[in-house]
Order: sequence, then structure tokens, then C-alpha cells
Amino acid sequence: MAADKQTKLLAKQLFKLSLVNGAVSPEQVTGVLGWVEKHSPRRALALLKVYQHLIATELAKSEARVEHAGPVTAATLEAIAAAMTRKYRRPVTTTARPNPALLAGLRIRVGSDVYESSVAGQLASLSV
Amino acid sequence: MSNVIAQIEQQIAQLSSKATKKNTGVITAVADGVAKVEGLSDVMYNEMVSFPGGVIGIALNLGEDEVGCVVLGDVSGLKAGDEVATTGKLLSIPVGKAVLGRVVDALGRPVDGKGPIDAKESYPVERIAPGIIARKSVNQPLFTGIMAIDSMIPIGRGQRELIIGDRGTGKTTICIDTIINQARINKVGLASGDKNFRPVYSIYVACGQKQSNIVRTISALEAADALQYTIIVAAPAADNPANQYLAPFSGAALGEWFMENGMDALIVYDDLSKHAVAYRQISLILKRPSGREAYPGDVFYLHSRLLERAARLDGKGSLTALPVIETQAGDVSAYIPTNVISITDGQIFLETDLFNQGIRPAVSVGLSVSRVGSSAQIKVTKQVGGKLKGELAQFRELAAFAQFGSDLDAKTKATLDRGSRIVELFKQLQLNPIAIEVQASILWALQKNYFDSIEVKHIVAAANSLKDFLTTRKADLLTKIRTEAKLTDEIESGLKAAGDEWKNTFSAK
Repeated sequence: MAADKQTKLLAKQLFKLSLVNGAVSPEQVTGVLGWVEKHSPRRALALLKVYQHLIATELAKSEARVEHAGPVTAATLEAIAAAMTRKYRRPVTTTARPNPALLAGLRIRVGSDVYESSVAGQLASLSV
Repeated sequence: MSNVIAQIEQQIAQLSSKATKKNTGVITAVADGVAKVEGLSDVMYNEMVSFPGGVIGIALNLGEDEVGCVVLGDVSGLKAGDEVATTGKLLSIPVGKAVLGRVVDALGRPVDGKGPIDAKESYPVERIAPGIIARKSVNQPLFTGIMAIDSMIPIGRGQRELIIGDRGTGKTTICIDTIINQARINKVGLASGDKNFRPVYSIYVACGQKQSNIVRTISALEAADALQYTIIVAAPAADNPANQYLAPFSGAALGEWFMENGMDALIVYDDLSKHAVAYRQISLILKRPSGREAYPGDVFYLHSRLLERAARLDGKGSLTALPVIETQAGDVSAYIPTNVISITDGQIFLETDLFNQGIRPAVSVGLSVSRVGSSAQIKVTKQVGGKLKGELAQFRELAAFAQFGSDLDAKTKATLDRGSRIVELFKQLQLNPIAIEVQASILWALQKNYFDSIEVKHIVAAANSLKDFLTTRKADLLTKIRTEAKLTDEIESGLKAAGDEWKNTFSAK
């Protein structure tokens, strides 16, 4: 079921209530979910889906997803987290995921920004 | 050999250390050539974005949650969930003399099968029009080769003159004739070796036209050997609306290159009615609020920012624009026609009734105007054709009254006779532009009553005969008129002698 304008608006309001100091607060999220369960607003399923999407997008801004081909040391991940925390001026954590399709190098995704230093990426740019 | 290896190693070193940043998003919906994208938090308005498979698009709607991108290519390969990335570039197309003689699409890609275009520069498709300080007043003529226009509605270099009329009234023909005339003048001027001669390069933007019409136009230009001075930007009716929306702006970018580099260019937008329809389609799909006739609120800005790019620049060149608007049942008071009339520096109105009466080009002298006026005319045209518009206006007024009565005084009859001769004289075959010196000579002959003794139905034949006589036997006199650009005593006596000689030969037929 697609969310209508009012549902999207309500989801945004709930999302704003879920932030404390600009970061997603688990306690607030629990509170919001409780409110939805108790009051069962109109189009609850669509509302929760939009809410979930907003929370996931926000959380992705604080998470650097590191795709790598070959081994990556804990020290490298720490250095990436520190660099991203400095750049985005918010605490950024890292999660590593091997991706052999990169051939060699790294690809880091923070929110909608992608930093690419991989052979696959360079080959793709050469082919354009 | 070692140098080569070192070069490759250097390249590898550069590649291996380079980390690129791009801003990405994910397609949430694709429909009607528009992709809705989530993410792209850093995207700029009008920025090029890249879709999978090398397809590009433009970010046109920057919403709070999503970005609306028009896709400039095949949308069939795109699906929800595909990644989209910003490029950091505005849409730009290759420009320069290398594009002359070519047919390109809205993105500057060749579509004529003549191989790649070796252009050294590229210009952004969207550009801010020159300001008032950079501009110079329009006072150099741009000859269309159409006698009715050059003598009564003169067009200057840097002017925007609208060509408006119903379908099938000869709007495109006027534009093609003008392009052919520029090519003819260019050939004569460049062959003369005159250092002050400034050729005019033409750009024909076919927006929403039928493919067959575009092919016919190309063939006409090729047949007249005018394609070498012309660029054709083709966004046919079968093309997606995004390309039709962009094509006039791409054409303007091509023209701006000539203008910025001290050359003169002419651009024909054929036609802006279809351009507005394409823009309306995009706007409605992007869910922008619609206004009058369902056009978006910024349709005036769409055309004003396009046409303001035509200018004559101080110390540089010029870009003359001939936008075309198709009216419905002669209604000039519709939304898009009134918009473009108010933006341009005059209009040439073509009437269906005149066309059907055989008066071709079907220029309505009463409704047509050039706001630049006689400052864009050479002296000889002013001398021989200064009173024509007034005489024709008088003729039209009297002709309406003369229908009700048979008894007319001598003066009225003379005015009607003269008017009908002028109307006949302005009849001209398509793809047959007349050089300004020949036009001046014919009008001089009219002024000196050389046509008065000829029956009205023979005026067209007489004018053609005079034209042939002058071009074949009085080339020196015509060259003198062209170079001196005014009626001197010597030229006038030459014209008198030529006129008398022609009259004898024509009467003898």
C-alpha cells in the first residue's frame, strides 16, 4: 500500500521525535513504536514503512560501509572511522564487507556519498 | 622504449592512488522518460547524472525526499533500485566550426552517419544571457532574400524576429530561404576577398518536427549548397520530450560559440510551440503545478531565457534568432504566441487567406513588424522601399472599400493599381532568395513606374525577367549597388539605362 501525503507527513513528525541531538535515539524509537501500537493510526503499515525508511537513511549517514577486495585490518577500519567522523562532524562507525568484484581496493559508502578507490571503479571510469 | 614504460607506470601510479567521490541515489520509479531518485543529496539543479548502462539524465526537480531526473536516452534498461550518480557537470555539447555541415541531436551527437565530430571545445547547454553592458544596438542588416521582408520588415544581426502563422503557411520556408541566402552571401563575400566581410553561420533547430520534414530541409540545404555553413540540431517528434526540450538550448550554445568568437550566426527555432508542449509534458510528469492551458508557470521564463541569448555583443559577434510559432486558426492571442510575441523584437505574421490566394510568401504586412526598424536596413533599401509599407496599407484599406462600389476616383484607382502591383511584385518562389542588390533594382523600377504599363497578371513574369536581365547582363551595376549600398547619381543613371533596355526587350515578347 503506497503512503499518502498525510501518512508521509506523520512519519516525518515521528522521525523528528526519534532524534536526540541530531542522532537516532533507540529509546525514542521504542517510544514511537509504542505510540503507533497503542493508537493504531490510519494506514499504520504504510506509516511504519516510511518511518523505517527514514530511520534507515539517517542511520546510514552515521555508518561507513566498507566494501573491500582483499584483507582489511582493524587499524584501517579505525582510521576510516576517524576520518569520516572528522569529515561529517558526527560519530561514524564502520562495517566491513568483502566484495571480490572490486578486484582490488576499497569502496566506502556513507549515506549517499560513495568514495571509491578500487580497480573495478577505475576500469569503469576508463570505459566511459 | 623506456620512456613509454615510464609513462604507463606513471599512469598506473596515478590511477592506483586516486580515490573518487560521488554522490549516489537509487531509482524509486521510472515512468514516461522521468526517473524519481532517492538520495543524490548533493545534486545541483540541471546537473548531469549518470544511470547504469551509460545513460545520462538531468536533475530537474530537487525535492525534499526525492530528485526528479529526465532521462536523455533509452529508459527501457532502467529499473527501480538501480544506482544513479552525480557527475558534477552541467550538460554541455561540442561546439565550433567542426560542427558545421553536420546534423546533431540535442546532446551534440552526430546523427548523419558522417563519423565523429572533431570539436575542440564544448559549451554548456544552459547559460545566462549576456547583460546590457556587453550588448550593442542592432544596426547591421541580415538579409533574408525575401523581398517583402527585407524591404518592409528588416531583420538586423542580433535581433529576435518571430515567424508566426498557421500550419502550412510557409514559416519553415522563410527560415530555409534565409539560411540559403546567408550561404549565398557568404560565398560571394568570401570570394570577393573583402577583409571586412562577416559571414553568417546558420543553425537550424528542428524541435518536434516530423523526420520526413527534417530530411526534406536537409535535402533543400544540400541542393542549395548551404549545408556547409549550417548546423542542424534535430529533435524530431519521435524523440523523447527531454531531448525536444533541450534541443533549442543546445542550438543556442552552438550559436553562442560563433557570437563569442567574433562571428555572426543565425539560429532558427522550428518550432517553439512544440518546444512548449514538450516542456509541458515534462513538467506534468514531474508533477509541477500547471497553469493556463496546463503549461507550467515558468513557460515564459523558458522562452525568455532562450531568446535573450540572441544578442549583438560589443567587440564580438552576434546571434540572430528566428523563433517559429504555429498558431491554431490564426489565433495570435493564445498563451504561447503572446508570450513569444512579447519577448521578441518583432514578428512576421503569415496568413492562411493570403497563402490560399496565391500570395506567397503570405506575409501580412499589417500585422508584421520589426521593432528594430530601418536602422537595420542599408541606405539603398530605405531609398527605394521606404514608402512601400504605407502604400500597401493604403491599398488594403481602399481595396476593402472598393469592393462595395464601382465608381472610383482617379486617385483611388491609381492607389489600387499600384498596390496590386506591389503585392504581385512581392510574390516569390520558395527556395529562391533574391540578392539585396537585385531587390533594390526591382523596387527602384517599381518606384520609377516601369511596371505601370504591364498588366497585373504579368507582373511576376516581368519581375523575374528583370531579375534575369540584371543578373546576366548588368552584373557590374549590381556589384556597384552591393558595395556602395546607396543610390548614387551614377548608379541611378545605370539603373535607368538598364531599365529602359529591359523594358524594350520585355515589351518585345
